Amino acid sequence: MTVKRVAFMKQLLEFAGVDPERLMLKWVSSAEGPRFAKVVTEFVEKIRSLGPSPLSNPAVLEKAG
Amino acid sequence: MIEQVAAHVKTLLEEGKVSAFLGLRDQNGNIFPYVYEKPADLDDGFSVGDLEGPGDSRYPIAKILMTLISSSPDKVVGVLLRGCDERALNELLRWNQLTQTDRIVRVGIACPAELAKAHECRKPFPDEFVAGEKAEPVASDSVDEIVALDLLGRLDYWKREFDRCIKCYGCRDVCPVCFCNVCSLEENALIRTGDLPPENPMFHLTRAVHMAGRCIDCNLCTEVCPAEIPLRTLYKKVADIVKNEFGYVTGEPGEGKSPLNILGPDPGHTSANE
Repeated sequence: MTVKRVAFMKQLLEFAGVDPERLMLKWVSSAEGPRFAKVVTEFVEKIRSLGPSPLSNPAVLEKAG
Repeated sequence: MIEQVAAHVKTLLEEGKVSAFLGLRDQNGNIFPYVYEKPADLDDGFSVGDLEGPGDSRYPIAKILMTLISSSPDKVVGVLLRGCDERALNELLRWNQLTQTDRIVRVGIACPAELAKAHECRKPFPDEFVAGEKAEPVASDSVDEIVALDLLGRLDYWKREFDRCIKCYGCRDVCPVCFCNVCSLEENALIRTGDLPPENPMFHLTRAVHMAGRCIDCNLCTEVCPAEIPLRTLYKKVADIVKNEFGYVTGEPGEGKSPLNILGPDPGHTSANE
């Protein structure tokens, strides 16, 4: 059900004007330490490449609108 | 229409089929929910919610029925239901807020086309009704209008709409399927209190998520909002997503949990891996 709930969230965020790429679901066990680090680092890089979020940075919204 | 309904309800009371009837009453031009107990009460002020126009005085009757039934555990109660009210009742039954189907006698009325159009109702009539005629379900374009905008355009739109919110909780209070004793919107840990407008857009997106698998599209929220925020557009989109992801449509009679009420794996599976 989690997969569906996150899919739902992504679609709702997209409808509200937030990039759904900013939400990610990954299954990682507490025994998979190195993998956890890798997954988080990759996601941080992805978020950085997406730039400042218009939610917490009104300037982004004003520049576009 | 009103005479037909009054006559039907009178018969129910006279024959003892119900010991009380939850409907509406018009007193000095004010329409409010009322519990009729004697047939003679129906002679003066019986209303189906039409003050100046059809259905302009609606109430979350299903939620009121919920409180009435819980305080009168032995009575058989009749209730006035429009299409939306019945959807609310079916949904409350699914969410276990009401369990006594054998003690509820439904008295349905079908809504006229103009009322259905005013609220873009997807089913302006209950399954069975004693007055009125089936009107055509009305489609909604408001969701498509938002989808036509680009991502930042949408955020800009919603932020401007939510900016007018005065946190009156009208939408939540009037909602027939909002029944939580402790509301997430009032929890300081989730939504910062003391802001006006409340956290934009988190307050309304939180409510929207809570409407998933619950909202029955009665449009009371948009009708009651003093800031005229297009809440229904948001909740209609939520209902579309729930239908596509979970295959669930609110308001249908029957058993089975609403999908967002299910914790754990999909029903019929033992884990997320199957």
